[in-house]
Amino acid sequence: MTPLQTIAVGFDGSPSSEIAVRWAFATASHLEARVVLVHAVGLLEHQSRLDVPEEFTAAVATIAEELDFEDDRISWLVDNGDSCSVLLRCIDEPVSADLLVVGSRGQGVHAGLMLGSTSLQLAERSTIPLVIVPSGRPAS
Amino acid sequence: MLVVNGPVDDAGHEESGHPERPDRLSAALAGVADLHLGDDLVEVEVRSATRAQLARVHETSYLDELGAFCYEGGGDIDQDTYATFDSWRIAQSAAGAGLAVIDELRRRGDGVGFVAARPPGHHATRDRAMGFCLLNNVAVAAAELTASGERVLIVDWDVHHGNGTQSIFWNDPHVLYVSTHQWPLFPGSGGAREIGGFDALGRTINIPLPAGATGDVIERAYEEIAAPVVADFSPTWTLVSAGFDAHREDPMADLALSSGDFAALARSVARTPASPGRLALFLEGGYDLAALRESVTATLAATLGVERHDEERTSGGPGADEVQRCASERAIALRIAHESLQ
Repeated sequence: MTPLQTIAVGFDGSPSSEIAVRWAFATASHLEARVVLVHAVGLLEHQSRLDVPEEFTAAVATIAEELDFEDDRISWLVDNGDSCSVLLRCIDEPVSADLLVVGSRGQGVHAGLMLGSTSLQLAERSTIPLVIVPSGRPAS
Repeated sequence: MLVVNGPVDDAGHEESGHPERPDRLSAALAGVADLHLGDDLVEVEVRSATRAQLARVHETSYLDELGAFCYEGGGDIDQDTYATFDSWRIAQSAAGAGLAVIDELRRRGDGVGFVAARPPGHHATRDRAMGFCLLNNVAVAAAELTASGERVLIVDWDVHHGNGTQSIFWNDPHVLYVSTHQWPLFPGSGGAREIGGFDALGRTINIPLPAGATGDVIERAYEEIAAPVVADFSPTWTLVSAGFDAHREDPMADLALSSGDFAALARSVARTPASPGRLALFLEGGYDLAALRESVTATLAATLGVERHDEERTSGGPGADEVQRCASERAIALRIAHESLQ
């Protein structure tokens, strides 16, 4: 079996996505894998340049430091689209992810809603393993 | 003669601060009123699209889920898209508005249709709401037409790629989908190499354009890449996903069109139908209210042959190289696809 080399984890700044990043870093440490942080730029977020928001890099740097995860194994992918589509693109080149990781609910989305659930849509569509990291909080 | 749907009571589909708001529809209707068409304006009563009509393009499980979600009060579906208690009813009416306009055009055998309804539809896929869209209005209308044996051209000049419409008709040889859109931009799809599924190779045409592209670039792209395929397809109906967010004043994107450019595009598209009464335009995006109003007026005037002084057309923006590249990438993708079929 090919060793797991690349973990793509969705990050939108929400507490749930931070938990997913923690899980991804911890797992990548054991497996010596690299982690690609994936941010989907939605229609409302329209921006002419696909930059990583500064608050995102700061939040992730804090988590990496806490978990002693090396910076050089972290990269970012910021792309246009809904979260599900952008994460699915990570399966193909150039990211070629072996594993997708998401939190159980994203930023601003109705808690417990099936309709817009990135994790459930990914579970249906992904052709590689997917880990949904529970947020540990009851749905409100 | 212009055939427009009657009022769609859209007031209940609104979220504070969201750009996809009822004022957009008011602006579009003001654009219609500015034409002063008198008796040449026909308003048709709107009925909600039926479940069977919606199920031609959407999964029934999705329809059930969306209806139930709204009934429970709605909320944010994703980072862009919302629904309220009233959204299900309003979305059904918006889809029905397109069907009502098509019915009236068929009955008269004359005129141009304009579907002034919201929420917009071209991002909605078979089983997902996204990009402000709940039900795919233009797709519902196109599927109604293909069910009765028509060949439908869908021209989508909204600044965003209509991923939902593309995916719904990906493998349908009876629909030719042509999209010009800014790229990169939401939703990230719409590359030149996306050309349709194996049953409909070449029936999807994507022309991605860089930020700043002007009207001359889009018109050239349409004429050079799309027009020959359209002529070969020989559509019996033309539907337009008429978003006006490619206007230079629009806050949601960075193309640089004027209302005069939309008029020029509309004149190109209006030449397509084989016979009168087979052209309908569906409101999609457009978030600067003044630009939306002016663009609706200019576009409809162009399709109706109404003389008016349009805003000057734009030229000199980037994109000529991208159009060339698009043509060559599309040709390569078609060749590879055909070779893999042999």
